[in-house]
Amino acid sequence: MEATLDSLALGFSVAFRPDVLLYAFLGCLVGTLVGILPGIGPLAGISILLPVTFGLDATKAIVMLAGIYYGSQYGGSTTSILMRIPGEASSVMTCIDGYAMAQKGRAGAALCIAAVGSFIAGTFGVVMLTVVAPPLANFALRFGPPEYTALLVLGLVFLAYMSSTSLIRTLLMAAVGLLLGCIGIDVISGHFRYSFDIKELGDGIGIVPVAVGLFGLGEILSTPSATVTGKVVSPRLRELLPNRTEWRQSAMPIARGSVLGFFVGIVPGSAHIIASFLSYALEKRVSRTPEEFGKGAVAGVAGPESANNSASTGAFVPMLALGLPTGPVTAVLMAALLIHGVPPGPQLVSEHPDVFWGFIASMYVGNLMLLALNLPLVGLFVSVLKIPYAYLYPLIIMFCIIGVYEVNHSVVDVWIMLIMGVAGYGLRKFDFDPAPLVLGLVIAPTFELSLRQSLIMSDGNWQIFFLRPIAATLLALCGVLLALSAVSFLTRKDWRGKLAEVEAGEK
Amino acid sequence: MTLRRDHVAGGVVVVASALILAVSGDLPFGTLASPGAGMLPKLLIGLMIGFGVVLVARAGDSPPFAQLAWTDFPHALRVVVVAAAGIALYTTLGFLVTMSAMLFTLIFMVERRPILYAAVFSIGVTGFAYLLFDTLLKSPLPRGDIVGF
Repeated sequence: MEATLDSLALGFSVAFRPDVLLYAFLGCLVGTLVGILPGIGPLAGISILLPVTFGLDATKAIVMLAGIYYGSQYGGSTTSILMRIPGEASSVMTCIDGYAMAQKGRAGAALCIAAVGSFIAGTFGVVMLTVVAPPLANFALRFGPPEYTALLVLGLVFLAYMSSTSLIRTLLMAAVGLLLGCIGIDVISGHFRYSFDIKELGDGIGIVPVAVGLFGLGEILSTPSATVTGKVVSPRLRELLPNRTEWRQSAMPIARGSVLGFFVGIVPGSAHIIASFLSYALEKRVSRTPEEFGKGAVAGVAGPESANNSASTGAFVPMLALGLPTGPVTAVLMAALLIHGVPPGPQLVSEHPDVFWGFIASMYVGNLMLLALNLPLVGLFVSVLKIPYAYLYPLIIMFCIIGVYEVNHSVVDVWIMLIMGVAGYGLRKFDFDPAPLVLGLVIAPTFELSLRQSLIMSDGNWQIFFLRPIAATLLALCGVLLALSAVSFLTRKDWRGKLAEVEAGEK
Repeated sequence: MTLRRDHVAGGVVVVASALILAVSGDLPFGTLASPGAGMLPKLLIGLMIGFGVVLVARAGDSPPFAQLAWTDFPHALRVVVVAAAGIALYTTLGFLVTMSAMLFTLIFMVERRPILYAAVFSIGVTGFAYLLFDTLLKSPLPRGDIVGF
């Protein structure tokens, strides 16, 4: 514990440097805007701004990009409460009771509860990250290629199990992502794969064009401007503070949401979305007045908002400690670290302590910044919401093109983004979630290398995955999850369906 | 039989996977002791075909294909065409000209907003982005082979 505190002190010495503070602030500000604006989520925001960080060192880059991520969780609540439009997916549950509170003239109180809940949950998540990540990284130092193969398979199966769409659809998307990750030169044999004499494809398909295309452009194509209304409930500043009853009603939901969100966040999948759904269901279950939900229940805002913020912090645990992205956002953040020459994983704590601890300390500071940003500047954010979507989405397309082009100065990347945008539109039409595709693309090189290394080192004996205890345990967990999915499929009793019913019933 | 959403989705997956398999012929599969460059891709294609078949088999649970809403398709198509033109001209005409024209086309022609607002917004925002990325952040944007800026 003493060593952890010493390391954290080192982190704060990095985080309090004026330049690092500036980039944390910029990240939080941009993240809040990204969360507020419909049609652009944290993934597109981070991907578009990734090239901007190329001139920065790894610490400043990851501090800024992570600020965008958790800032967007804060910002997402604003549109949910004031417009009944979720700025991003994890704010869907906040729409229900947040907007109902706004209709009753309690928009300011709802925004304040969401901001304070997000702050408490975010800070709780960082404390847990501080405690959990270093020992987990230490344990992961025992991992060899078979363990990594098993871990990545478990990550994909977990993602499929936790996904809101079906297991088959999620695994199919992950397989497509893995296949896209095979494009380019094979690092072991030197074969060109699926490059079709396009020299830019020799290095493979980048994560940024795929992520920006699927989540940035794809979202825009699926959102015709005529369907985005600009009706905003404007809160008055003097109404920002909740009354005593509202504070009392929000205390326990914030506490429960913080704990629940963190543990859900560690699990691969769209954790922050699932966490907010679970928290809403939990609050309704434990409430003495469940009939109030949907009509402006304070717990319906406090719980989900706390849960999604805590989950977004929890998602950093496997990313930093194991090098395992739990979702598309952490996958892009991982790619950002790799671009800056800092591979995430067990060695990160020992080889780049300034980056690891500086990043963690900056999250404490970032949460404070977000609390300060979200309440006094709510008027400014409301005015941003009044920009007509017909002007906003062309701007986002321009930033998508800039962001993708600037990574490699390659027009081929921009074409890939456009193709992926069209693919994203089609995938949404056919009810496929594009997130596993991005995850598959990110882990493809590590997965293929560790799989082939495992087979080579065992002289072709596939039982190597079952003879080593850690790998066998991880694969046994995969088996359990697949069995649970099979039971759900056969009995047609799926917890995801129940959650969807909770949401549908309240709308 | 009613054609359902997952009949189409599964069918597309199976056909696309088969096509990819057809162009993977020259990639060696190798052996378990010495896996080749084609091992993982071919295993993945096999899995995708399997998943596609399952989708088709279970398509009865999905809505009829005719019920899918395509009202947003014309708008999406217009946006894609304008964006594609912008990308095609991006390095030839340069950032300032291409992006101003792309924004103007989207706002004025696709969204039918007033021409003056569209022009001022397009030029102003493109100029601001140029200053931000090219000048302040030192992240060079394409100057254009013809126009030179």
